Amino acid sequence: MSDRTRRFAQSGGAVLAAAAVLALPLVVTDRYLLKVLTFVGLNVIIVAGMAVLFGYAGQVSLGHAAFTGIGAYTCGFLTARAGWPWMTAVAAAVALSALGGLALALPSLRLRGHYLAMATLGFSVIANIVFVEAKSLTGGNDGLSGIPFASVGPVRLDTPWSNYLLVWGAAVVVVALVSGIVRGRPGRAMAALQGSEMGAMACGVDPVRVKVTAFTLSAGLAGLSGALFASAVGFVSPTSFALETSIILLAMVVLGGTRSVAGPVLAAVALTLLTYIDGLIPGLSKTTVAALQDWKGDIYGVVIVGVMLFVPAGMAGLARAWRRKSRSVTGAGEAA
Amino acid sequence: MSLLAIRDVTRVFGGLVALDGVSFDVHEGEIFSVIGPNGAGKSTLFNIVSGFDQPTSGSVSFAGREVAGERPHRLVRSGIARTFQNTQLFEELTVFDNVLAGTFPVTRAGVVAAALRLPRARREDRLAREEAHRLLRMVGLDGEADTLAEDLPHGLRRLLEVARALATSPRLMLLDEPAAGLDSAETRELASVLYRVRDAGATMVVVEHDMGLVMEISDSIVVLDRGCKIAEGPPMLIQKDPAVIEAYLGEEAGDDA
Repeated sequence: MSDRTRRFAQSGGAVLAAAAVLALPLVVTDRYLLKVLTFVGLNVIIVAGMAVLFGYAGQVSLGHAAFTGIGAYTCGFLTARAGWPWMTAVAAAVALSALGGLALALPSLRLRGHYLAMATLGFSVIANIVFVEAKSLTGGNDGLSGIPFASVGPVRLDTPWSNYLLVWGAAVVVVALVSGIVRGRPGRAMAALQGSEMGAMACGVDPVRVKVTAFTLSAGLAGLSGALFASAVGFVSPTSFALETSIILLAMVVLGGTRSVAGPVLAAVALTLLTYIDGLIPGLSKTTVAALQDWKGDIYGVVIVGVMLFVPAGMAGLARAWRRKSRSVTGAGEAA
Repeated sequence: MSLLAIRDVTRVFGGLVALDGVSFDVHEGEIFSVIGPNGAGKSTLFNIVSGFDQPTSGSVSFAGREVAGERPHRLVRSGIARTFQNTQLFEELTVFDNVLAGTFPVTRAGVVAAALRLPRARREDRLAREEAHRLLRMVGLDGEADTLAEDLPHGLRRLLEVARALATSPRLMLLDEPAAGLDSAETRELASVLYRVRDAGATMVVVEHDMGLVMEISDSIVVLDRGCKIAEGPPMLIQKDPAVIEAYLGEEAGDDA
């Protein structure tokens, strides 16, 4: 298959997948399942941004749950307490999380590798303390409740299926936009930077600018996800945005693989469903469910370590290697 | 007027004087070589001209503009491209994508244009791809477009770096030991590529140890030894220059000891 036909097949497949996802509420009527799938969509939005940051720009963040939190609290506070219209509140939430990303990125992207991961980890911890302590804004440990549903003009999205459509509609748009970015010139600059910083500079790429862009973008998308979460659930509390969530998100992008959007998105779907597996598969015994809950953190940890050690390019890397192999086999066949 | 004017460039690392008041001019359209024994300061000079290092004192002017201390990615935009002694390819990307990355400074699409796939971003992308294909043909790598850079035979890696540097549309190309590790057939191929590059209008400064290649391709040569310029002139004169012979003989005697 030539590159052009492959690209065509890929975009055709993407359109079909998007249509199937948006048509799903026609088939799925179970409210719990719809809610779980909505959470899947929320994670897809975050992970699409982290795919840019990790898979293309090569930056490890252990703080993205904090940006989701900033988005969730901003949207929640502005709609529930300040009476802002929903759309404006969401825009403010995205802007504020992106700004938070920018503020963290500017000083810390001069750090490399583990030191950057440490800085984002520190940020995550600090943000969580703020969520707990800034009681007048966040409601502290009790959380912020009474957040109204999303509403666009006179239309209130107050049913599970309308929230599903809202979140997945946003997810589809985000994935489409992010794919454009990574396939275009900015993505090339990021991939170059990850390949060789000196080589990238010799191609006119400004490393700091590219990394800051990727960081700000991914923080903004995490904020968008948080804002949608707040209005879909109606309640926000600090535990949702703890360090563990950041680690789960990192596990998704790492497993999904580098230089791919589809890989991390699929991994986000799989690992998010794993979290709710007890409710989704009715036949599971109590002990299995308990074991899964107990070992969840370990599963994510093992996923990160295992992938980093054995398949650093993740599922997407395996797919690429497999494609190359099958292509070279056909190539040899044609030559013979 | 010269394209590149180096004036009294000195670079001191701690107590070591890597470059000591070096001056020379490179004229438009030349192939200009910098030679000298190991430790003469050639790489330091290259790093300074390409912005990867800064002179302790002295001036570097390019097309009449002072550029010493400017960042590498800015210098590429003003027309100074380089290759590296230890190739800095994007190993996990294909040969084609390596060259495509080189078009970065001559394209414009930002995050928004790329995300929305605006018509101007798509048009620009198509042109960049055509240019990358053209450059691969020019260096004879069009058959390897889909090969990963890390799988490319050593001799072709340097040609790939030349193609990538060309993609930035340079006025001045700095080639750091382009023939290192090449066999004689590959060196011949390199020389013909360099002639094609010159005919396409780029001026070249080459650091090279392969004296056969240097004497063949160079219009002009500067010789450095322990950070100082000891000779400058056309290949014919450099070959006969007593100070140059002395510097190289001294190195060989040193190596034997």
